[in-house]
Amino acid sequence: MNDQLNQKTSQLFDNELPYDEALALLAKLRSDADLAQKWDRYAAISHALKTEQFVSLRPDFSAQIAARLEAEPVYLLPRNKPVKRNYAWLALAASVAVVSVVAVRWLPQLDHTSPNAPAPLQVAQQQAPQALPHSPVTTRKADTNEQPLNARINDYLQAHNGSVYADNQNLKSMTRVTTYNPK
Amino acid sequence: MIAVKWFFLILPVLPTAVAWAETPPLPDSDNRPATLLQDGKYILKSMVNAMQNLNYQGTVAFLRDGKLEPMRYSHAVNKGHEQEHLLSLNSPLREVVRETGKVSCLYTATQKLIVEQRPFERSFLLDMPTNLAQLDAVYDIEVQGEENIAMLPALIVALTPRDKLRYAHKIWVSRQWFLPLKVVVYDLAGETLEERVFTELEVKDALPFIAIKQPSNAPSLPDSPAESSKQAAFALTALPKGFTEVFFSRQPMRDAEQPVDHLLLSDGLASVSVYMEPKNPTQPPVSGGQDTPSVQAIDAINFFSHAQGNYQVTVMGEVPSETIQFIADHVQLRGQ
Repeated sequence: MNDQLNQKTSQLFDNELPYDEALALLAKLRSDADLAQKWDRYAAISHALKTEQFVSLRPDFSAQIAARLEAEPVYLLPRNKPVKRNYAWLALAASVAVVSVVAVRWLPQLDHTSPNAPAPLQVAQQQAPQALPHSPVTTRKADTNEQPLNARINDYLQAHNGSVYADNQNLKSMTRVTTYNPK
Repeated sequence: MIAVKWFFLILPVLPTAVAWAETPPLPDSDNRPATLLQDGKYILKSMVNAMQNLNYQGTVAFLRDGKLEPMRYSHAVNKGHEQEHLLSLNSPLREVVRETGKVSCLYTATQKLIVEQRPFERSFLLDMPTNLAQLDAVYDIEVQGEENIAMLPALIVALTPRDKLRYAHKIWVSRQWFLPLKVVVYDLAGETLEERVFTELEVKDALPFIAIKQPSNAPSLPDSPAESSKQAAFALTALPKGFTEVFFSRQPMRDAEQPVDHLLLSDGLASVSVYMEPKNPTQPPVSGGQDTPSVQAIDAINFFSHAQGNYQVTVMGEVPSETIQFIADHVQLRGQ
């Protein structure tokens, strides 16, 4: 009898057992603990033969997993609502951007052609306010004003710092004075 | 009794310990404790010691305002007597020697020799005071890591000013010899103003002293010995923090009818000169033709020049424009 069961179990693993006999064997596996253990051993042997790896599991491994899943609490979490995008605002913003670009490109031409157009602002030509001679100096003028070095400053430089000897002999002609303008 | 025993045990060691603390040992690549190599002030002390007591030579690149000037440099010492020698590699060829507070510069092509008394300077590479307490009052001194300069490992010592009246410096000090391999000066925005860097350096047991002979027919400028600043036609009513008067001379200058007063100030690292001379209507204005005097710059050096009474006062130095302006504002003619 056992030999017959073993043979059927082996046939089930190899997919060689007829359908009705397979159902009957699976029903028997549920009720027969010895047969179920044998089934597990066959499964392990089959897995080891196919993968050349063997993992030994406790007989009640699957039963414990099932029990734990049963014991897991149920979390009733709120689902994220899908964001409803207001595409109307996006469309409006895009339209404003397009109108701005077109206006910037066309307005200067309108200024030149219109006889009543106001004179352009001459910001770049405005003169900086004159500086007080003793006001604190805080900023460096971006476009520096350069001029040839005064001969006396050259003498002063030489007297001030001996490292000027490491500079070129033609210090006077090569060096340029950079102006700092007070704020 | 125990205290007396300890006293006699420590006594023989004490002189050695005191001497070691006061005078850093001569460089030698090193068995120094790692903690000392993290102490910026100790490294600077060792550097000053090495700069004075070693014989070394190499090529130094001086970079200012985008201009590069490579020069051969050597420092020789014999029985406490030092000599620095600079030789330009590019035209115009010139040779500069600093010895016992005197600088001689011979321009080879024109055979023009300039001799100046400069007792207030110690080196073309880096003017570092022997007493670091002056620097300690106005700069934070710390080690900021290591880098290689000219294939030599170096400790980076940063001198960061505690106010905006002076510039930050970084010095790359050779780990092996404690010589300065690179010096960089940064402006208030952190941009490089000036740089001096060795491209190669070798330390020798001895180096020869070089003599510059004055050509028989060469014109020369007279010496300018130091005098007391009390003789100056002006006084400074206030000084920026950390600055002190270090040198005063009254010397003739080119085309000047009368001698020019020159007062040098220093915070130990940065220096400022104050010049005063009687106004000369035949000379072009020192302010560079500007109607309104303002602070101007020549590379890393700022200057301000304006008329004060019958005198022309000029303040000049490697400091921010605010410092120049502060000093100019506190020049007072004597007797006023």
